[in-house]
Amino acid sequence: MSSLKAQMSEGNAVQSDGKWVLEALDQYEAKLLRFARSIVGEAQAADVVQDTFLRLCKQPERDVRGHLAAWLFTVCRNRALSQLRSERRLQNMEDDDVQPHPDSGPATKFERKEQLTRVGRAIRELPERQREALLLKLDGGLSYKEIAEVMQLSVSNVGFILHQAVQAIRNEIASESALPAVARRMS
Amino acid sequence: MSTEQEDVKLTAYALGELSAEDAATLERELAESPERQGELQAITATLDAVREEVKKDDAALSARRREQIETAAQRSDADDAPEAGADPGAKLEPKVVPFTPKRSRRGRLIGAVFAASAAAAAAAGVFLVQSAEHRGLSEHSESAGYKKLPSKFKSPAQAPAPTTAASAASVADDQPGDGKEDLAREKGQDPGRFNRERYDHVVDNAFVRVSTDPRSTFSVDVDTASYALTRRHLNDGQLPPKGAVRIEEMVNYFQYEYPEPTGPHPFSVSSDVASAPWAPEHRLVRIGLKGKHVPPRDVPGTNLVFLIDVSGSMSDENKLPLLKRSFGLLVDQLGAEDSVAIVVYAGASGLVLPATPGNQKQTILSALERLDAGGSTNGGEGIRLAYAEAKKRFVPGGINRVLLATDGDFNVGTTSESELVDLIEAKAKSGVFLSVLGLGGGNYNDSTLEKLADKGNGNYAYIDTLREARKVLVEQATGTLMTIAKDVKIQVEFNPTEVEAFRLIGYENRVLAHQDFNDDKKDAGEIGADHTVTALYEVVPRGGAVPGPKGDELKYQAPRAPSPAAAAGELMTVKLRYKQPAGDVSQLLEVAVRDGRGTMQNANADFRFAAAVAGFGMLLRESPYKGSSSFEQVLGLAGNTNASEARSEFLALVRRAAQLKRSAN
Repeated sequence: MSSLKAQMSEGNAVQSDGKWVLEALDQYEAKLLRFARSIVGEAQAADVVQDTFLRLCKQPERDVRGHLAAWLFTVCRNRALSQLRSERRLQNMEDDDVQPHPDSGPATKFERKEQLTRVGRAIRELPERQREALLLKLDGGLSYKEIAEVMQLSVSNVGFILHQAVQAIRNEIASESALPAVARRMS
Repeated sequence: MSTEQEDVKLTAYALGELSAEDAATLERELAESPERQGELQAITATLDAVREEVKKDDAALSARRREQIETAAQRSDADDAPEAGADPGAKLEPKVVPFTPKRSRRGRLIGAVFAASAAAAAAAGVFLVQSAEHRGLSEHSESAGYKKLPSKFKSPAQAPAPTTAASAASVADDQPGDGKEDLAREKGQDPGRFNRERYDHVVDNAFVRVSTDPRSTFSVDVDTASYALTRRHLNDGQLPPKGAVRIEEMVNYFQYEYPEPTGPHPFSVSSDVASAPWAPEHRLVRIGLKGKHVPPRDVPGTNLVFLIDVSGSMSDENKLPLLKRSFGLLVDQLGAEDSVAIVVYAGASGLVLPATPGNQKQTILSALERLDAGGSTNGGEGIRLAYAEAKKRFVPGGINRVLLATDGDFNVGTTSESELVDLIEAKAKSGVFLSVLGLGGGNYNDSTLEKLADKGNGNYAYIDTLREARKVLVEQATGTLMTIAKDVKIQVEFNPTEVEAFRLIGYENRVLAHQDFNDDKKDAGEIGADHTVTALYEVVPRGGAVPGPKGDELKYQAPRAPSPAAAAGELMTVKLRYKQPAGDVSQLLEVAVRDGRGTMQNANADFRFAAAVAGFGMLLRESPYKGSSSFEQVLGLAGNTNASEARSEFLALVRRAAQLKRSAN
């Protein structure tokens, strides 16, 4: 119930210094970074998250009170997506052969560590929307409603996407573990 | 119900997303179906595996980035304090709904799940600020790449607007301002309460008694942004924030018919005196400066660097798209001897177009056309890059200028505002000047932009329409781009035998210390070719009652006896100091002003119009010195003029403001 407590103190506290931003930073820094990295490259993700918090600094606390997480992830996502688009555009402008940036594209982004576990690979290979929703839910701790808001989807759509994501990962894990057995049998 | 829908429900249950009632129903079903229980366990196991996997990656920001955020966090509350204080009505009345814990990470064991949902049902009396559904109304979300919005998110009219929800919707989006203003307007609320635009608080200059201080010293200002900003607000159906109304910028928006300079000085100085329309017992003095005309053939080479903000917030129709067309107009006027470079800044800064001769219009225009908004803002780096580019093509004696176009979100990135100002000030000394074009609204940062232009020996205009762009970049292009005198300061000395007290109208943030007038190291405003600059003083004649509190008599000093010159009947002497654009030493110019004792009714139309604009500004600012001014009076003063397009528009704006004011009361 720690998240519930956080909710309540968020709602009640009237803080007079920038402390609330720093608390948000501690709480969401890693989560936002992981989320941003699933959209853009590692370097840009840091830009995006820093930008998100700098924007938070400009908000009166009362404006984000009670929905801080949704606010942060929405801004973070918007920044990441526009970053992604401008990156692609700049590439198009710089040279005509559209070589994907070595550090761009959701698939490579997420794979930072060379040896990914089965689950890691399964997450990485999810369609973009499913991966985003999954991270928002399981890492960000957002409710369906909040995810719907961040991703501009309906709540029931979120439920469906998450269900698909879970099933996809489940199948991926199952098939992976099944694969060596099949291979053995065939040889 | 199909199996898939059942599974969706099961996933939602495992994620703690079912209502207590639905959860209870599901649990009853589960109890009877070992198969479904197995399914749930599989889902739960998958979720746990994902959680575990994700947590392995302990991401963190670098220490430097954290530090910047911490610095900004400390600064943030200072920024917000006056806003919050300014509108006590903005206190939140959060809409509350019963809280059902949606986030509790319900667990691995079904038993634990039961326990958790029981606790949830028991948690009555816990309330949570309603957050979700209503906040999805991002009308401007194209910039973030989603176009397919569910229809319920699209219509602001349908959107319930609890304060929290409305503001969250706007701030969470890339274009906070417009959405919230639209929304607030639809709801008939005061849009100002959500407004993140930044305007410095300005207090009207007060009357100064000549017996205490006979001098008034200020820097000229050719900025016009305030008028265009005011116009945008009025056209949007709202009265402008008082801080956005700078009377001198309103007055200087219009051209006046001052004589062409003939002598050795690059500008002429003229004056008029008549009764003040809002206080007939007072005199209104107009001081007019006119910069010399520079025929296009005499304009030396032009080296321009467009520094364009392409951050996500610039994607609105009235920002980047308008800007492209505006710069297009400017490019049309350039020739082979001129050059244009384009630098953009957002998350990363980049040179989009290296210096290109002005006759290669197609190259320049297509580079402009390709610009697209997206990314965060790092203005500091962009400015450095732009100045570096301007230096490469420096034209000695020519126009060397960085044209910064932005909606002003500057605080992101590695540069603090004061560092930025320092940088720009230093670059101005190298001969590269800065013009600032403000765009859009919402998170528009008026005070920073004005400061930047000020320090960059430049000017600051607000572009709200293509017509305005044409005015600034075509009709007055030489004025905007070509400085004919810099660090222009004015010092007025009033004659105590004629004047009891005086008040400088506007120029509040241009006031200088008297000793700075003769200090050539002190920066002041610039005048461009063909520019006119107008300053107005309201004067209380000798023996008249001075509005405002009366200071005590001095204990140790008696008023000094007037000098013989005071008997000449002059009202005041206007002294000006200026430097040649490339010079370091100022020159002095002096003009005495006499009062012809005329009334405003008989004053020339041009003067009457200036008085009308000042009166309008005071009304919008609700100035304590507005006296008997009224919108009717303003219309009467301005209405008799030969209406140019700009002046007719002014009349329309006055009528509009009058209407808004009436409906506000």
